[in-house]
Amino acid sequence: MKRYFKTIMLFWSTAFASQLEYQLNFLIELLAMLGTLSGSIFILSLFFSDGRQLGDWSWEAALIIQGVYTFMDGLTNALLRPNLTEIVNYVREGTLDYVLLKPIDSQFWLSIKKFSFAGIPEIILGLTIVFWSAIRTGINLSVFNTLIFFVSLFIGFVILYSVWFLIAASSIWFVKTWNATEVLRALLAAGRYPITAYPVILRLIFTLLLPVAFLTTFPAEAVLGELKLVIIILGLALSTFFFVVSRLFWIYALKHYTSASS
Amino acid sequence: MQDNPRELIRVDQLSKIYRVADKQPGFKGTLSHFFNRRTYKVPAVKDVSFNIFPGEIVGFLGANGAGKTTLLKMMCGLIHPSKGLVNVGGFLPQRRQTAFLKEITLVMGQKQQLIWDLPPMDSLYVNAAVYGLSDEITKKRINELADMLELGEELTRPVRKLSLGQRMKSELLAALLHHPSVLFLDEPTLGLDVNAQARVRSFLSEYNKQTGATILLTSHYMADIIALCPRVICIHNGSLFYDGDLDSLANSLSPSREVRVELKKAYFPEQFVSYGEIQELNDRFVCLLVSRSKLTEVVGKILSDFEVIDLEISDPPIDKLIGELFLKGEIS
Amino acid sequence: MLEYRIEIALWALSGVLPFIMFSLWSQNDVGNSFGLNDIGLARYFLSAFLVRQFSVVWVVFSFEEDSLSGRLSPYLLQPLHPLLRYVAAHLAEQATRLPFAIAIAILFFVLNPSSFWIPSISRFLLAYVSTHLAFSIAFLLQSLVASLCFWTEKSSALERLIFVPYLFLSGLLVPLSAFPEKVLFLANFTPFPYLINFPAKILSGMPVDLLNGFFFQILWIAILLPSVNILWKLGVRRYTAMGA
Repeated sequence: MKRYFKTIMLFWSTAFASQLEYQLNFLIELLAMLGTLSGSIFILSLFFSDGRQLGDWSWEAALIIQGVYTFMDGLTNALLRPNLTEIVNYVREGTLDYVLLKPIDSQFWLSIKKFSFAGIPEIILGLTIVFWSAIRTGINLSVFNTLIFFVSLFIGFVILYSVWFLIAASSIWFVKTWNATEVLRALLAAGRYPITAYPVILRLIFTLLLPVAFLTTFPAEAVLGELKLVIIILGLALSTFFFVVSRLFWIYALKHYTSASS
Repeated sequence: MQDNPRELIRVDQLSKIYRVADKQPGFKGTLSHFFNRRTYKVPAVKDVSFNIFPGEIVGFLGANGAGKTTLLKMMCGLIHPSKGLVNVGGFLPQRRQTAFLKEITLVMGQKQQLIWDLPPMDSLYVNAAVYGLSDEITKKRINELADMLELGEELTRPVRKLSLGQRMKSELLAALLHHPSVLFLDEPTLGLDVNAQARVRSFLSEYNKQTGATILLTSHYMADIIALCPRVICIHNGSLFYDGDLDSLANSLSPSREVRVELKKAYFPEQFVSYGEIQELNDRFVCLLVSRSKLTEVVGKILSDFEVIDLEISDPPIDKLIGELFLKGEIS
Repeated sequence: MLEYRIEIALWALSGVLPFIMFSLWSQNDVGNSFGLNDIGLARYFLSAFLVRQFSVVWVVFSFEEDSLSGRLSPYLLQPLHPLLRYVAAHLAEQATRLPFAIAIAILFFVLNPSSFWIPSISRFLLAYVSTHLAFSIAFLLQSLVASLCFWTEKSSALERLIFVPYLFLSGLLVPLSAFPEKVLFLANFTPFPYLINFPAKILSGMPVDLLNGFFFQILWIAILLPSVNILWKLGVRRYTAMGA
């Protein structure tokens, strides 16, 4: 356990050092983030013109969802994107062999090797929006609700990670998974808006099949103190399920890799 | 790994069969491929057995696609065998247990593991953490190995700014940091210039002497094999056809030696026929192939029968011999 | 080959964003505020999807990969401009994407039968031309960024700076007529509304200022083409000077 912890620290400090080599990237990411955020708040404001509401969500409540989305996007950019899009290169260049021969879990290595520090401002800004908007809605932000909020964020992140890792792991068969990742990202964009704003069929899909709702809507409901216990339990079950599936799939994929690669 | 004083690696009737899908070209081929996938078996390694003892340096020889790399990867646990058994120091490699992984290392000449944008030193400390080495031990080992490899400030320069030779030496350092007792090297000198090749070679032989580590390597450069490996294992079309020392391989491949003679004046070809097989005849220069058993006798006769200016006896170059052998596809 | 087909199908699917937005706009009954009923919205977003399928560009990514992997040097030695190689690749893929785009359109009509329409020949041809012009603008914009590969190692990061305004100002998420007037006025001075919004409006049969639209499309091409040319030449000069 201590070994894993020390490894993470070294992974990330080297990641930090190698990103310093490209300072410009940091600035670009920052600009892109600000552009994306102001763009989506602008689009959101179009829904609320003429005093309308969006799926029973008030403007401030909908802003909480934007905040959660920004936070998740920040985590994605910091951890998921840099690591999981690399897996295909490990396979293509054959350096996966080195990873497999390290006395450390290969899924751990592949999922956590890199950390993009450009994601941090986005994470902070996302949380700021969440709490700022929560206060603006006038609700009483209790410690309990905040705790539930972080639990539901964790649930959402585990689900997202597992689905993404599943796609990335399939690069052992398909050399390019870039497109599948694009589909995932396009669908995730649906999480910018409250799940109740969608037609019923999509609501079902986004809750059970591709649990977008767990990424943004449910954490936002948690802040507002509206999240039902059933949903938390369902979330815990789903995230465990997805994580176990991703784990089993990786073991299966490695079995294929070691019996078919040359 | 020392509990078995006898063989360190036991390979017993090892086979690897790949299933390859057979696909006809074109759209129709794609369709029938999709619905009715026909596969056939390609044996990459067939029924190979050998033992390797602690401290040995063994070279694996074979043409491209002969099965060398597959064999090597089965021994380090990256490929599951289809049949047969591999045992490395009491472990089944394919299970890749931590204790096993800490005892081995793999270096592939054409694939690198160092972080491209950073100095090798950073990658070294990452590796140290992965293998659970303490900071002091890491520092001490880096110093030792850097000395042996003649690496200095290169370790603090970004990898992308290093020459190929410096990069390979750093790769070796990274691969040996945890003091593995078995080294698997797949083409470790690929693409290096002659000097860098020589340095890698002398390092490996020194490392072997100092630590008693077992080294298994494949190489395209015969010079590597000649300099490093007292024992070679030749693989041809997936099967083992020679396992023994290098010199007797040369003998068994070619029981003859080359005799080059420079003469005072030119002679006719017929005059040499009784001495040996004429390889080359060019004005005053002649090259004959003479079997080892008759060598002294024939050389003496040449010296007395002709006016000789210079005479040279040599083995036919081994890489030429092996190259010819692989070309012919003949196994004696 | 089969894998490649899956690739393209996934590509087509990754363009689902307009459909997600359509479901939002129509579910919340927002269309009326900018003069579009449900049928109008459905037609607009299907058109936006189709236009995007045939104007999407990824030169920056191919180019970056080629230059990092060293494939660029031999390309530069060939008597064919490397950018033309990418144009050909894009056009070829557009052709293979056609059946998937049609399949998705049919599925869309099955789900929303009331929105079915067949554009008139003249509208279709105009939309066809303006989609190609949109493709040209997008291609030139990305080539401009790709040329920066000669200076910085990772220009795909810079691509984000084009993609963000493209996402919000092109009309992929909402017809531009929903924008407040001032925003719309400013947006019309960027190349982005002519990439999706303009061709999609033609195709879906919405009222559209053809003259104005085509004028700006051609204007942007006239501005971008020489810029790309100059930047590319400077870049190649730098590349060869560095001896990379």
